[in-house]
Amino acid sequence: MGLYITQQLVNAVSYGSILGLLAVGYTMIYGILGLINFAHGEVFMIGAFVCYLATSVYSMPLIYGAALALLASTGVGLLLQRYVYRPVIKRKAPLLTVFIASFAASIGLRHIMMMFYTDKRRAFPIPQIFEKMFLVGGVAIGLRDILIFVVTIVIMSVLTYFIRYSKVGIGMRAVSYDRSTAELVGVNSSKVTIVAFVIGSALAGLSGLAYGLSFGIVNPSMGVTPGLTAFIAAVLGGIGNVTGAMIGGFIIGIGEVLFVALLPASLSPLRPLFVWILLFVILFTKPSGLFKPNVKFEEIWE
Amino acid sequence: MTYVNSNNSKVRRIWKILILTTIAVGLLVLANTKLRGFYLGVFLLFGINAMACIGVSITNSYANIFSLGFGGIMLVAAYTCALLTLPIDYKTSVLTLPLWLENLQVPFGLALVVSGIVAVLSSIVLVLPAFRLRGHYFVLASMGINIVMANLAINLRSYTHGPLGLRNIPFHTNVWWVYGLLALTVFFVSRFKWSKFGRALISIGKDQTLAATLGINVVRYKIYAFVIGSFIVGISGALWVHCTGSMHPNVFDLNFVFNIIAMLAIGGSSSITGALFGAAIITFFTHLARPIQEGFVFLGFNVPPMIGLIQVLMAVMVILIMIFLPDGLFGSGKISLSSIKRLFATPQVGKERKEEKA
Repeated sequence: MGLYITQQLVNAVSYGSILGLLAVGYTMIYGILGLINFAHGEVFMIGAFVCYLATSVYSMPLIYGAALALLASTGVGLLLQRYVYRPVIKRKAPLLTVFIASFAASIGLRHIMMMFYTDKRRAFPIPQIFEKMFLVGGVAIGLRDILIFVVTIVIMSVLTYFIRYSKVGIGMRAVSYDRSTAELVGVNSSKVTIVAFVIGSALAGLSGLAYGLSFGIVNPSMGVTPGLTAFIAAVLGGIGNVTGAMIGGFIIGIGEVLFVALLPASLSPLRPLFVWILLFVILFTKPSGLFKPNVKFEEIWE
Repeated sequence: MTYVNSNNSKVRRIWKILILTTIAVGLLVLANTKLRGFYLGVFLLFGINAMACIGVSITNSYANIFSLGFGGIMLVAAYTCALLTLPIDYKTSVLTLPLWLENLQVPFGLALVVSGIVAVLSSIVLVLPAFRLRGHYFVLASMGINIVMANLAINLRSYTHGPLGLRNIPFHTNVWWVYGLLALTVFFVSRFKWSKFGRALISIGKDQTLAATLGINVVRYKIYAFVIGSFIVGISGALWVHCTGSMHPNVFDLNFVFNIIAMLAIGGSSSITGALFGAAIITFFTHLARPIQEGFVFLGFNVPPMIGLIQVLMAVMVILIMIFLPDGLFGSGKISLSSIKRLFATPQVGKERKEEKA
């Protein structure tokens, strides 16, 4: 039993990393613009899909595919910011107008991909070297899991340092906490917004790549479930708190896998319920999340 | 208008209503006899969607509690109505139900009412978060309710036949049911909107704290909003299932929810006219424009089939509307029935209006 649990934990780590990388974008954009970027799951999908197209259809090496994927997802994120969110927010529209626009952007992006490539599942080409497994004390660890985990930890550390000590990072936290005061003391809030979208979307693309590598499947509607789950991770980690979002991603990823592993097999189709019930528990007991949130809190509680 | 004889104006109003009703009934009779198959289905779906829109707009725009959970509520109501009216031999062969439910067969009208009541009861899962959460957090929680309900429907196989879905649901829905109920809904909601309840709801939607200080019981009126809204939405879900004749756990998924939101966004959610026109635009667009996404030859070019083009166009439409007309086409009163009337009115009426304002 102990071995089984350990094996499940090891399997869960790469899923947790995927959610953590995705949650960073949500938490940054929510902190700065006060909106749930519903299209973030689609940015994630575009990252995975572009890499799939580059490596499988145009037979490029994985490294070029990955670079293209990051470029594409960052580009899509910036386009969304420039042509959807900025004009809507500029009109000082109520929050829900912005929400409807982001919902529409998400549906639109997903169906653009469906239009050209249909919604069938495609096999993501995983290079032979990543299939390698190590046996450590009876627990099998895949090379790709190690790679994903290490890359996530490195990025997490760099990002935490960046947010905490760099000038742009401090500006980002300031805008996230109180936009008008930050602008008063000379923070360029539009620059900060763009930086947040660049970082968030690039990490979503990276997360999509990791998803493709570890699950081996891509399709245009792949972004929906991980996207919503990652937002819950961001809420769990305290909205606006980047490190918290990463840790929230790991907690939810590991919790979800353990939920399926520990309960009887007949209950495993209830897997989607786990995260939503967790969300309700968080929102009703501690809506500020596990770690210190970096937004003002009137907007969550009644 | 003061010097118009009030008795005379009342008579004129009754005549107007009579003429409009006759025209509407005539059109419905025409539609009932002329439309067949696909076109009849689209016509019915328009009525059903319009009803759902009006129901959703009570919570989402009057009380300003932006809920996406209506998909889950429609799902519950639709399954209830289907279980109450399915043929008994089909129920025995596919589902494992308690005996009383298996042998139960009720007339369609009663089944509609029951499913509306069940919808109201199930909306309690939305009401509870609505008292605790606000803004985007409530939107997310209500969206979660959709997903939870669909997941339960997939897993409660003995009642819903799981992902395989239900078939053989009798086609009870016809023009009279849909448009009769739609007319009732429009009448009820238009009376409701400016009644004491409606005004209280709208004031809660505008500023909850202010409404509470004016002595409006916020909790009670929010519950009223959910009760009325989910009753209407539930009935439209029940009509939907008897219009298509089959049921599946994922029919009211996020795409469906988005369609309804798009109807409200395009039409303008704060008016009944807006809900009706939005429903008309989106329903007819999504169904009648279907040939353009199945590939065609245009000026010698062979346009390949692009399934999903309609959703993309709709999304672009919604984004543009949100940028340029956040209140929707009919929401801000720029285009409404009364403004059209004003356009054709005699200049004398305009003069009176100015005097009134002064």
